[in-house]
Amino acid sequence: MSANRDFSQDRTFLIDMTRCTGCRACQVACKQWNQLKAEKTTFFKGEGYQNPPAMSEYTLTRVKFRDYEKNGHNEFAFYKEMCMHCNDPACVSVCPVSAFIKTPEGPVVYDTKRCIGCRFCMIACPFGVPKYEWSKALPLVVKCTGCYGRIKEGLKPACAKACPSAISYGSRVDMIGEAKKRLAAKPDRYVNKIYGLDEAGGTSVLYLTERPFDELGFKNVTRRPLPSLTWAALRFVPAAFLTMGGSLAFISWLTHRKDRLRKEEEARKSNSVLPKEGE
Amino acid sequence: MTNHWNDLKNSDSIMAIGCNPAENHPISFKWIEEAMEKGAKLISVDPRFTRTSSKANIYARVRPGTDIAFLGGLINYALQNDLIHKEYVRDYTNASFIVTEGYGFKEGMFAHWDEREKAYDMKAWAYALDASGKARHDPTLSDPRCVFQLLKKHYSRYNIDMVCSVTGTKRSDFVRVAQTFCGTGTPDKAGTILYAMGITQSTHGVQNVRAVAMLQLLLGNIGIAGGGVNAMRGESNVQGSTDYGLLFHVLPGYMASPDYSDESLESYTKRYFPKSNELKSANWWQNGGKYITSLLKAWWGKNATSDNNFCFDYMPKRSGNYSYVQAMRKILKGEIEGLVCMGMNPAVGGPNSLNAREGLGKLKWLVTADLWETETSIFWKRPGVNSKNIKTEVFMLPAAASMEKEGSISNSGRWAQWRYAATEPPGEAKSDLWILDQFHKRIKTLYKKDGGAFPGPIVKMAWDYGDGHEPDVHRVAKEINGYFTRDTIVQDKDKTLEFKAGDQVPAFALLQDDGSTLCGCWIYSGSYTKDGNMMARRDPTDLPNNLGMYPKWAWAWPVNRRILYNRASVDKAGRPFNPKRAVIAWNETEKKWQGDVPDGGAPPLNDEKGVNPFIMVPEGVGRIYALTMKDGPFPEHYEPIESPARNLFSSVQNNPCVTLSDKDRCDFNKYPYIGTTYRVTEHWQTGGMTRSLPWLVELVPDMFVEISQSLAREKDIKNGERVRVSTERGSIEAYALVTARIKPFIIDENPVEQVGMPWHFGYAGMATGDSANVLTPEVISPSSNIPEYKAFLCNIEKGGK
Repeated sequence: MSANRDFSQDRTFLIDMTRCTGCRACQVACKQWNQLKAEKTTFFKGEGYQNPPAMSEYTLTRVKFRDYEKNGHNEFAFYKEMCMHCNDPACVSVCPVSAFIKTPEGPVVYDTKRCIGCRFCMIACPFGVPKYEWSKALPLVVKCTGCYGRIKEGLKPACAKACPSAISYGSRVDMIGEAKKRLAAKPDRYVNKIYGLDEAGGTSVLYLTERPFDELGFKNVTRRPLPSLTWAALRFVPAAFLTMGGSLAFISWLTHRKDRLRKEEEARKSNSVLPKEGE
Repeated sequence: MTNHWNDLKNSDSIMAIGCNPAENHPISFKWIEEAMEKGAKLISVDPRFTRTSSKANIYARVRPGTDIAFLGGLINYALQNDLIHKEYVRDYTNASFIVTEGYGFKEGMFAHWDEREKAYDMKAWAYALDASGKARHDPTLSDPRCVFQLLKKHYSRYNIDMVCSVTGTKRSDFVRVAQTFCGTGTPDKAGTILYAMGITQSTHGVQNVRAVAMLQLLLGNIGIAGGGVNAMRGESNVQGSTDYGLLFHVLPGYMASPDYSDESLESYTKRYFPKSNELKSANWWQNGGKYITSLLKAWWGKNATSDNNFCFDYMPKRSGNYSYVQAMRKILKGEIEGLVCMGMNPAVGGPNSLNAREGLGKLKWLVTADLWETETSIFWKRPGVNSKNIKTEVFMLPAAASMEKEGSISNSGRWAQWRYAATEPPGEAKSDLWILDQFHKRIKTLYKKDGGAFPGPIVKMAWDYGDGHEPDVHRVAKEINGYFTRDTIVQDKDKTLEFKAGDQVPAFALLQDDGSTLCGCWIYSGSYTKDGNMMARRDPTDLPNNLGMYPKWAWAWPVNRRILYNRASVDKAGRPFNPKRAVIAWNETEKKWQGDVPDGGAPPLNDEKGVNPFIMVPEGVGRIYALTMKDGPFPEHYEPIESPARNLFSSVQNNPCVTLSDKDRCDFNKYPYIGTTYRVTEHWQTGGMTRSLPWLVELVPDMFVEISQSLAREKDIKNGERVRVSTERGSIEAYALVTARIKPFIIDENPVEQVGMPWHFGYAGMATGDSANVLTPEVISPSSNIPEYKAFLCNIEKGGK
């Protein structure tokens, strides 16, 4: 069930966390462009100045803070959590009404008119991205659209445009090339890994970091595309359905056959003492 | 800034001291990171580990108020390890100048201290003069009375161990900073120092900045690409506001504002624009007479003539210190009738907020002009007061926001960039230009009708900004640039230039002192010429030297020069010290300079007509020794007024020139922790502009203070709990943020904790909270009058009020 197309030209984010200052221009630009409500917050939730507590129907991207000490040195790190716009998205695969679409340009968008609010995508996404409109009576799922409308007009996504230093944006092959160049130029500065290169089969959002990814809270996600895992099970469904169903039907026929035969036998016996029709 | 924002990308070593560019100037980080991509090192010197520190190669902790010890240590390190740029120091600074026997320093005090006046007799610190009245020099820098040797002796006390025991910096960190930054003393390396309120808001703030300038002069870093002394200004157009003379002690273009002893234009000119005896000194201020005359012509137009000294008598003469703190003290005593606050919020922004708020209640009337209700505009109904007891009449004028008005904004790099109105102001909100125009027109009408004590300065004022509803901002800009008031012929060296009445002045070199020119601000002369509005240009073509100067993007004062003092970037023959980053270079064949606008078009020093690079001082060379600084020619470490430590450098605890009263005493036993204030990316100044914007409030909704994990354990405070912080001035309530980024300082072998906090909160607006400035002291620097917000003593307790 994998979309085996060429992803090298897909629009991709390269987020270099060694350049992120945690200013949150990206978070505010997203809210402004999408006209999303500000959430009611108190103090901070999480480490550093982190707010709001989680991504939600009103917060499609969020800068997470880490504020800790390691080996006597302070670590104050920031990273932007957002939809990863996977090459082979789990959400696209599990949606029963095909509301999600992996566009040819890269972003994974969705049609709100098709969404039935079943939330399969929320369970399937390994990054925990799609959020639910808990506030509404007829709730639907909400997530980052990669600013598809903007990129169709030749503009950069709002967050990429607002960021002064950390976010680069371009084709996947170019962003991977840039990432590899940086890793080679400063091997003592970076952890030698591009997060998003292989995760979930590859995504359109790539991260570089100075601190180990798991120390910062990045999820350890399988390298196989999620649909390939689900397909491993799902492809058996028709066969399993037919096999199980057929077997059960046969067994049922078999077990009820004795009763049927018995009933027919009894009917035949009772029929013999009765006058035959026309006799 | 001597340099500018884009120039940061040219640096090899960027030291951010007393500032936090990642949080407070986030866009600048683009250039800082470009420099780091090319191998530059970022050094963050700060009491706490900030978002800037998170990106820095080296972080050095420093106790609030001890920056002179830190910088003095770097000066000493550079001198002891011979890391200075020798040719530069010998030729371009006053290191070789001989000082009279009148200068001395002993036990924390400079010579010639007058105990009664509480001031030094600065005239005693003069240079030793030769028979012709010029300063004596020793180009070998070995004479024991030359500036260089006096400098070495003064800072020999600032050895690494002494410095670190005062600042609390880890020794290995200090050495790394010293090795890295002082390594930029070679001609091929450039070091820049970024600074802001962290070092200026101190009773020795001016001396802090002096230490920065001295270090840069010793390393040969002024006038070169990627170097300089670079102040990161804190408000959108504060550079513009100081350029146009909005501070009490200056006129537009940083000319001194006259005081009552300046009885005539002639005596004013002689006092502030003296001639210099030094050969090869451009001494540019000697032209000041032309600028003051042109300013007077701009203000009083045809009424200002040579017969009446160009209406110099109409210019207000100061009879004292009208700085913020002094003004607020007078207000508190009930000595001021009325106050106008345009985009200014004394109830939250100045020190000792409780006094400021009480003072506002003593005014007869108050006018505020702001986008939203600020704490100042609603001081009369603030929590805890009965508005019936307040007699002040308050007017609130709704003001237009910056994107609703047309005009220029000047950034820290002196670039004036023209902006257009993107949308109309809402409701009745008006631009500041309209508000001031109305003030003027109506007051003028009242004076004309009713007379008054001294109507002349108002009724004779020239005011020519059109008859439209909104004054024409282009006419203002053109007047600022200046134009000829009559047909004039000017001899410019071998050229004869002819101008007609009304012609824009091409540059301030053409301004005259005979009334033939008017000019609203001489440093902006050249910004709006016959070729149009130079500030509106947006051509992104860089110079061939690729140093990010963009000479056709907007307009920088003065005369579109992007790097000041750039004559110091070349040797005496006009060859760049670093050919790879040539700011200017002398073309021997064409006999002219290439690159940036040279700081004076004269040929290089080797030529008989050549001039020295530091054109704004009479010596023509950079002042390592500053004989006109009130608190001393060399910066010396003193403790902040409220300090947990005794001064280890001398027995003089504080800057002796600071005026202290009994109110300024602080009990260390009651207030045992170091308090300091700062800003966050998400809010702006007193919060008037940001605490009513939901998307920003979502990020930082509440007032908080940051404390160390050890202080939290000591006081049983958990992250997110309410705490109470107090000082001699008052107390506030806030959330506590417990973090590893703040640590105690070891003073006399005991840990002394710090409490840091943003000062953005107040009782007005959507998101409210207590104001940090309720806690801060009013003690001020004797030279700049700036309050010591950055270092005071406080206490913290668990639980709210």
